Amino acid sequence: MGTDVIDRYVTDLGSRLQGSKKHVRDLLTETRDSLEDATEAHLDRGLSEDEARTRAVEEFGPVKEIANEYQAELAVAYGTRTLVWLAIVLPLMHMAWEYGRMLLVGPWQDLGTPTPSWYLVVAKANDMTSGAASGVALVALVLGRILARKYDTKLLAKLAASIAILAVGAVLLGNVAIIAATAHVDVARLMQSLPMSIASLITWIVIIRLGLLARRCLSCATIVA
Amino acid sequence: MKPDALRGHLDALLLATLDGRQLHGYAIIEALQQVSGGALDLPTGTVYPALRRLERAGHVVSDWSTVGGRKRRTYRLTQAGQKALHAERSAWREFTTVIDGVLGGGGKWAQT
Repeated sequence: MGTDVIDRYVTDLGSRLQGSKKHVRDLLTETRDSLEDATEAHLDRGLSEDEARTRAVEEFGPVKEIANEYQAELAVAYGTRTLVWLAIVLPLMHMAWEYGRMLLVGPWQDLGTPTPSWYLVVAKANDMTSGAASGVALVALVLGRILARKYDTKLLAKLAASIAILAVGAVLLGNVAIIAATAHVDVARLMQSLPMSIASLITWIVIIRLGLLARRCLSCATIVA
Repeated sequence: MKPDALRGHLDALLLATLDGRQLHGYAIIEALQQVSGGALDLPTGTVYPALRRLERAGHVVSDWSTVGGRKRRTYRLTQAGQKALHAERSAWREFTTVIDGVLGGGGKWAQT
């Protein structure tokens, strides 16, 4: 049946796409509009309803090929969104945690047990990781815009996903390192303040959420042929 | 014209089609076919990812609006898009001048 040709095509296309629901919906709405417009144009040229719809779908292109091009754009859009989150959330999260620590716990040096110098190095490295990861995400966003037309979309999508994974990985590693170092120096410090324990828990929830975003970003980029 | 030959020029063709006007996807496709007398024969589905790529580069912006009872995404050039189009036109003129100098020679080497 003629009507089903467009429905089937749009459904088939949608089933092959992965990305932000809004972006997928927008692309599919635009696809359906285009197919309906093409059908109307063919009807005006004297084709029957069924012929017009079939011709519109044929002209749109093989679903596998079109899905591949759409997916590359969806993957880049998802990568961009993830990098924006990383660029904004990581420094905010770190500043909030540090401000809370200074307010509720005070400087590391003022704690009961002596703080070895290597611990301060680990703490400093952890501080820098969030800033560096955020900075890398920001640079990637700017470069992505400049290089949007110069490089293959599929390559840009994979690069964005890789940067997101590495940035979240570095932040994760920094947080694991500071927790392990704190436990090694004085395990009581980990439980010294209930509000700080809650703040740490929130930090971990945010990192895990960013990690899931980065993983989905990679999944969107790697299903592109 | 073969789709593969067109693909490399698709961005420039889309920028030129949107020069001084705001169009939705299918109107862009129709305009391209009209101007080329039907010679530009790309799968129409490839135009939409290309428009998104131009949007990502900041060369076009899009808005959703309801036209004739149907939601349509319409595109227009930005200032950066105008500049990019200008650069594409200059590069194309330079390219065709050089290639024409070689191919349009009428086989003068064969005659000498």
